[in-house]
Amino acid sequence: MATGGCNKNPRAATPLTDFSAPFVFGRFQVPVDNPLTEEAVELGRRLFYDPHLSANGKVSCSTCHIQRLAFTDGRTTSVGVSGRPLAFNSMTLANLMWGPQRFFWNGRVATLEEQTLVPLQHPDEMAQNLERLVTELRKDAKYRKLFEKAYGETSRAAIIRALASFERTLVSANSRYDQFLRGELTLDAQEELGRKLFMAHPDVKVSLRGANCIDCHSQFLTGGSSARYDGFSNNGLDDEAHLQPGLQAVTGNPAHRGMFKVPSLRNIALTAPYMHDGRFNSLEEVLDHYDRGIKNSSTLSPLIVEADNRGGAASGRISLHLTATEKVSIIAFLHTLTDHDFVTAERFSDPFARK
Amino acid sequence: MVPGWGSAVSSAAAAPAAAARESNARRNVEESQALVLLRGLPTLNTVHSIAIVELNPEAKNFGAILQEVELPKLVHPLHHLYYSPNGRLYSTGLDPKCSLAEVSLARNASGTAVIKGVKCLDTGGQQVGEDIIWHSVKGKEYMFVTFMGGTGLDQPDCGSVGVFDPQSNALIKIIQARKSVVAKGAPYILYPHGLSAYQDRLVISSTVHPDLKTGVGNAITILDLNTFEPIQNIVVEDAKPVNFSSSPVEVLFVRPGMVAGVTPAVLVNTMFGFETWKIPYNEADKSFGAPVKAYDGVKASTGVPLEFYGNQTELFVSHALPGIVKRYKLSGLPELVPSGPDIKTGAGAHHMIFFSTASGRKVIAVQNNLLNLGNAADNDPTDVDFIAKVNDHSITVHDLQTGERLAKVSFKDRYKKGVENVEALFGSGFVHHH
Repeated sequence: MATGGCNKNPRAATPLTDFSAPFVFGRFQVPVDNPLTEEAVELGRRLFYDPHLSANGKVSCSTCHIQRLAFTDGRTTSVGVSGRPLAFNSMTLANLMWGPQRFFWNGRVATLEEQTLVPLQHPDEMAQNLERLVTELRKDAKYRKLFEKAYGETSRAAIIRALASFERTLVSANSRYDQFLRGELTLDAQEELGRKLFMAHPDVKVSLRGANCIDCHSQFLTGGSSARYDGFSNNGLDDEAHLQPGLQAVTGNPAHRGMFKVPSLRNIALTAPYMHDGRFNSLEEVLDHYDRGIKNSSTLSPLIVEADNRGGAASGRISLHLTATEKVSIIAFLHTLTDHDFVTAERFSDPFARK
Repeated sequence: MVPGWGSAVSSAAAAPAAAARESNARRNVEESQALVLLRGLPTLNTVHSIAIVELNPEAKNFGAILQEVELPKLVHPLHHLYYSPNGRLYSTGLDPKCSLAEVSLARNASGTAVIKGVKCLDTGGQQVGEDIIWHSVKGKEYMFVTFMGGTGLDQPDCGSVGVFDPQSNALIKIIQARKSVVAKGAPYILYPHGLSAYQDRLVISSTVHPDLKTGVGNAITILDLNTFEPIQNIVVEDAKPVNFSSSPVEVLFVRPGMVAGVTPAVLVNTMFGFETWKIPYNEADKSFGAPVKAYDGVKASTGVPLEFYGNQTELFVSHALPGIVKRYKLSGLPELVPSGPDIKTGAGAHHMIFFSTASGRKVIAVQNNLLNLGNAADNDPTDVDFIAKVNDHSITVHDLQTGERLAKVSFKDRYKKGVENVEALFGSGFVHHH
């Protein structure tokens, strides 16, 4: 990617040693040219929370990615320097090292480094001129020192790499469900029923009831699917006439119309409103959508079409036919994905905040 | 710092020259890495350990130990590795101080898998842990572990099945039914090793006393999981090619979850009988039929059949002598319908894993060691002649389609250790082990 090179070697870049991630999340790779270092992460955290990165000095990354909301903003769609509502709902920032090969709801960039550039420069988001930003940062003694230690220079590439490094450290791994996976606790009966429904595709032939969640949300604990465009789906939000471009805007492929990124479900109870356009205000509304609100279209996921706990998929009516108890149980399970440590951890918090 | 650092948008958009990086990131370089349990060999002054090893035959560092954690406090090594359904890693063990353990894994800042430690679990005195399965009974999940030494190696008829809470690892129950304790003719549990379950029936084998001289079994035991009690023994024995009892070792309850529509049956490998037996199961009345010999090693010139492994289409059975893996059509089960030529590995062919190499070649890696008990040539005090003939101390990697040997690492030559067990680092790479 064209982030430019960091020409100087940092003198004191320290490999990140105070870092441990769950084995079960799977393999991740950090770019060879942007290893995780203490200095890069410290710099990235400061930049992430600094409103001076925006054209009007009022909008930082954290404006739309608030820690207590699992790095979302609670809005239907975000609002940046222009004051105009953006096209999409703010996506959570957690466990971004695992899975995603395409970022944003419509998958418009391929790397975390590239991702940091988009909001920085977008006229409605932060509207920043990167060359001017570099000039200003070089005038600041504190930043000059931080950049020197992390990357050996203050540059556009260093800004991008530092932000990406901080975002890579946003690891959420201590929800009740994480603790369950580690054997530290047992889910209660309602959560356990929800877990089983979440994991099951309904099959009336063997009397297996399921909510069909895992079919699309297979990477629900991390950042998404690791396959190039596999982690995108049309989940029946709109009918044929109202399908939005979605992934098609990136690929040009009509078969991708109406498909959006299947998001992580980590901390989902904190990240309302839901969907790419924030149309649902609660998890109850989301469950109602999947249960009886699916709209058919040419690109609707076949995994949704055929999922019916009454086996009536062949009739053409798309419905999961979940019971009220089942829906409540699934929501109870989704609440086990909330990681309170993550949303309060000081290492992820605003370094400018008064103690 | 002053606000308002300009407002114009840079025209220098990021050019995504990340295709190569993206491709590299997607490739799972970990797929060819394996966890191995290594046994220190007393005459070679080495220590038992658990290690991560590179097994990609195309890699320059094939056979390299990437990380190793030594277990100096154990006289006997860890024995078999298993991932739980929730991705937790367990190991059975041969040392009385550590008959069952949970192995802690994590990832460091570069994404590399790291063995963090080994925590020995309370087994209530049960010894010589062998196999583990996780199985649900009446909606409740349990971890079942066979302990070939039961609650004491001093018992000539030792053996038990430990029932554990899979969340807390707490021991729930010790299932024991020693021959000398139960009524004459009543179902017994003796030197259990293999175990496999379907619905409310658990099948365990009766293998050999851990001291390899006090006694040898010749039957399997059926347990009713409604009561956790043994309800039946079934003898599986015919030829005695080495004048021992048949010593059933691994069992596999062939079931619909493994092969859609299959008629359930139990397959049993007899270590000293050299045979594979099929025991029909009538799901309607929960009865087991008369055992039928499905494979005769004496006729086929193979011996010491050990493990059952499977992938999506085939069942693989390892035979320590002469060191081969036979393969059968999964769709043909419970009959053993050959699906391809034998894979010639090494003496002691035992555990195996499956993976794809970086170039996409599908391979099978086989651990060739029966028990790692040393070798007379080393004047090893732990040597047992019969056993020493089935210890190649190696892992061989073969093309899965053709069986061609692609690479071999001898752990004895390279690390002065025996290799006790192999398991794929991230998940098992197989679907039907027990």
